[in-house]
Amino acid sequence: MDIFASLLQGFATAISPVNLLWAFVGCVLGTAVGVLPGIGPAVAVAMLLPITAKVDITASMIFFAGIYYGAMYGGSTTSILLNTPGETASMVTAMEGNKMAKSGRAGQALATAAIGSFVAGTIATVFVTLFAPTVAEFAVKLGPPEYFLLMALAFTTVSAVLGQSTLRGMTSLFLGLALGLVGMDQISGQARYTGGVPELLDGVEIVLVAVGLFAVAEVLYFALYEGKTVETQNTMSRVYMSKRDWARSVPAWFRATFIGAPFGCIPAGGTEIPTFLSYAVEKKLAKGKDKEEFGTSGAIEGVAGPEAANNATVTTALIPLLTLGIPTSNTTAILLGAFQNYGIQPGPQLFTTSASLVWALIASLYIGNVMLLILNLPLVKVWVQLLKIPKPQLYAGILIFATVGAYGMRQSAFDLVLLWAIGLVGVVMRRFDFPTAPVVVGMILGPLAEAQLRNAVSIGEGSARVFFERPMSLALIAVIVAVLALPRLYRFVQARRQGGTMLPHGGVEP
Amino acid sequence: MNQQPSLRSEALVGAAVALTGLGLGFGAISIPGDAGYGGAGPNFLPWVVAAVLTGCGILIVREALSGGFRDMEPPSGAEGGWWPGLLWISAGLLLNAALITKIGFILGCGLCYLLAVQGLRRAQGQRASAPRVLATDLFSGLAISAPVYWTFTKFLAINLPGLTGSGWI
Repeated sequence: MDIFASLLQGFATAISPVNLLWAFVGCVLGTAVGVLPGIGPAVAVAMLLPITAKVDITASMIFFAGIYYGAMYGGSTTSILLNTPGETASMVTAMEGNKMAKSGRAGQALATAAIGSFVAGTIATVFVTLFAPTVAEFAVKLGPPEYFLLMALAFTTVSAVLGQSTLRGMTSLFLGLALGLVGMDQISGQARYTGGVPELLDGVEIVLVAVGLFAVAEVLYFALYEGKTVETQNTMSRVYMSKRDWARSVPAWFRATFIGAPFGCIPAGGTEIPTFLSYAVEKKLAKGKDKEEFGTSGAIEGVAGPEAANNATVTTALIPLLTLGIPTSNTTAILLGAFQNYGIQPGPQLFTTSASLVWALIASLYIGNVMLLILNLPLVKVWVQLLKIPKPQLYAGILIFATVGAYGMRQSAFDLVLLWAIGLVGVVMRRFDFPTAPVVVGMILGPLAEAQLRNAVSIGEGSARVFFERPMSLALIAVIVAVLALPRLYRFVQARRQGGTMLPHGGVEP
Repeated sequence: MNQQPSLRSEALVGAAVALTGLGLGFGAISIPGDAGYGGAGPNFLPWVVAAVLTGCGILIVREALSGGFRDMEPPSGAEGGWWPGLLWISAGLLLNAALITKIGFILGCGLCYLLAVQGLRRAQGQRASAPRVLATDLFSGLAISAPVYWTFTKFLAINLPGLTGSGWI
């Protein structure tokens, strides 16, 4: 069946009244989650994972996808109007968006962010439509050695490249892998690290880790350290764009889409690099008066570009998730957990075994983007009201939803104690700048990577040479080495050029 | 105020990581290593994780003792923690865990909300113990918990504990 026919069939499923309703509720909830501080799409999806026990898989994946990209739309509202950006994806948007809002152009910043998100999201969905089946066809040819190395690449990039410190990134990753070890071994059925607690035989629920690390930790951290932090909010202005705003935004949206989309496709995750790259490109290309606005009164390209890059990246991140079963961010890791709850392992076979689900999901991305544009442009003033909810009530309310997520999965009060303990660990991690994404990715991918590793070694009859004898796995080893070595080599060369000495931690001593 | 945590606390974090690694190694001893046809058994990854975490812990302690964590973003918020806030919220979460099966989701979460919001209000320097504030918080906790409970149990058929078997309280 060709792509177009499959997509049409996907639309036929996605526009059924029930699925449309789930998509709408997901988009509304996602936007709210994006706007509200202290709660992101990963936590929202994790808290709602218990619905996988009852709701049909197509409906729930459409719902979760709505939350996933709805949060990206909503996140820009907070980053433009509040002086504290919510998540890393919105950090760059906040840089210029905030300045625009301060100089009375909040409406223009919000408009370019919403329309840019729509343009980039839609183009990136076209990429997913066109390229995901091709990647899936190619991925069928990959064996356990290649799969293990792809996962190792995801581990490397998420822990060693994206964070501030490789050491702390590695620590987080291995904490995640350690959590993934708890429970029954997939291959031998051997119980590991259960300590005789029957609840732990099934492993630690991803909901507990995600909700504990992100939501509970955020609430505890706020009470501990941020109670006295004063936040200011910028004034809202009319949401419109002048002809000149359009002329400056349109090229930025397209450039950023083509910068962001490839980053989502590779198992290297993260929206930081494409959004910063897009910002740098826009700043470099701006001329005269437009350039002067960067960092002063706020340049519209500085919002349009990063916001479009962000949306393009998160959309195409569905390609490695659906075709290889490899999540590249917190939220896609939890989406993988949702698939697993239904007994489905995303990967190349998904396009043949669950074709109707995959195409309905892709079709729902197109529909969701239109819904989100309508929800975020004319109704932006409604969303802004959410920022008025006082933090004590908001954060205490989040704990109620955290309880639903944690208790609803296994009906175990013991899990609520674990939730609290993981929240405490999250506070320590945040205070000492340990990244949390590697924990979630390590925990979800760890057991899969272990199974692939052991299968690969079995294929190699107990020898690790199997990783070096296959061209694709050899190429992946080269990529991993390059990802690890090139940034260090670059810093070393820079240090030599400046005549300084490179410190062991990567800094430079003059 | 953004200040880097003290070197002693950084060293403590490193020690905790190293101890976790050692604990995992201790646990790995009891996992059988029968690898079958392959070269890696169920104890292979536990040993790797234990070794790497112990190594990371030692390196973190070394960093802490030789000038502090490298490439570190200063943490947000106050320099010192306001511990009563942590205690209020912890009390809410743990009491909810202890009582949820006995008093049901709505009352358990209502209590958790009440204690958490008390801690958070106090963290912000608000007056939280006035009877009117307490009553408002208790009411809003129940007003959030009840619809959440009904939505998840009645519409989504998720099993959450109730005070009675009716599924409404």
